[in-house]
Amino acid sequence: MRYVDEFRDPELGRVLATEILAAVEPGRHYKFMEVCGGHTHSIYKYGVDDLLPANVELVHGPGCPVCVIPMGRVDDGIALARRPEVIFTCFGDMMRVPGSEGSLLDAKAEGADIRMVYSPLDALRIAKSNPDREVVFFAIGFETTAPSTALTLKRARAEGVKNFSCMCSHVTIVPPLRALLDSPDLRLDGFVGPGHVSTVVGARPFEFIPADYGKPIVVAGFEPLDILQAIRMILAQLAEGRCEVENQYARVVPYEGNPRALEVMAEVFELRPHFEWRGLGFISQSGLKLAEAYADLDAELRFEVPGVRVADPKACQCGEVLKGVIKPWECKVFGTACTPERPIGTCMVSSEGACAAYYNFGRFAREREVV
Amino acid sequence: MQVESVDEARGLALCAAEDGARSTVEIALVEPVVPGDRVLVHAGVALTGLGA
Repeated sequence: MRYVDEFRDPELGRVLATEILAAVEPGRHYKFMEVCGGHTHSIYKYGVDDLLPANVELVHGPGCPVCVIPMGRVDDGIALARRPEVIFTCFGDMMRVPGSEGSLLDAKAEGADIRMVYSPLDALRIAKSNPDREVVFFAIGFETTAPSTALTLKRARAEGVKNFSCMCSHVTIVPPLRALLDSPDLRLDGFVGPGHVSTVVGARPFEFIPADYGKPIVVAGFEPLDILQAIRMILAQLAEGRCEVENQYARVVPYEGNPRALEVMAEVFELRPHFEWRGLGFISQSGLKLAEAYADLDAELRFEVPGVRVADPKACQCGEVLKGVIKPWECKVFGTACTPERPIGTCMVSSEGACAAYYNFGRFAREREVV
Repeated sequence: MQVESVDEARGLALCAAEDGARSTVEIALVEPVVPGDRVLVHAGVALTGLGA
């Protein structure tokens, strides 16, 4: 498969691993954060971690869209879904995220009309097929997914679909990165930048990382060689005393992003003053809501939503995992009370969640063997 | 995914994944595309064109 096979070549992987080994300074410990959950998934699926020297540590960032949704938002979604006139639609992963009294899947089992969709366009199709019902789409995700929601809302408006609305929980990637960089808990040496978010926003928004914090960032693709090459590029920057934004994923990511996507997002959304992130707390200007011109399609205005903040379960340490402070296996309930089948925390739900990646690909080892 | 046909009036394309699964994709962000083009699709929207 073009763009895939050539980035899974084991021989090239070994060459890159050798170059990485040669590039690390003996005695120095490197801590790099892969921002995107898609990277975390690939790293453990393909064993990229095992090809790295012991002194190169990967820390898993907050870029899993499902993992960052707080329990209160799930409860809000369930409250909407339980309304008899509502067909509630959401992505499959979102259905298993625990709220304070169960998940959307539990609510569906109890009789709520909740349907899994692959895209907001599917939700709009359901609305057109059910004109006597109200169809709500639970919109989650970073800038990668937000254009899809925006285009669907524009399409709903253009086609005069009145029984469609959106519960908008989209978030943006830069504010949590800034919050992490400001956190005293974490010392990082560089970032593997998010590939798919960057197809929309480009690489330019990450220039603050080298400029304000003196850390290199390399936007990377999702195949194993993409990630290894990005790590090699970060190490080269550090060795050469450079600190900049580089784009390893140039076959997909234009440095300036997708201007049409940015334009449609700017038309349909506006920034919330603050938004709660699971485990990270409230972060200013990090969430999106529908702009005034699209307020009639805002489910939170069309229906009454509880909007109650719910604290995470005490046993769950998703917050520390999302901040890269602990590894998934260091959480007290990892793999025991919290499993992909019965998740307590969001990081165990999505395939992009760090806990699920560790669990599914058997990464329980507390010590890595030196390559 | 690979573009199989384009409905220009509606801004949609029928696209096929490598495994043959087909789905309708919003192409407003990457137009113009023609059958045979490859596009990166996320949540039903083509985000980037990858050429033929």
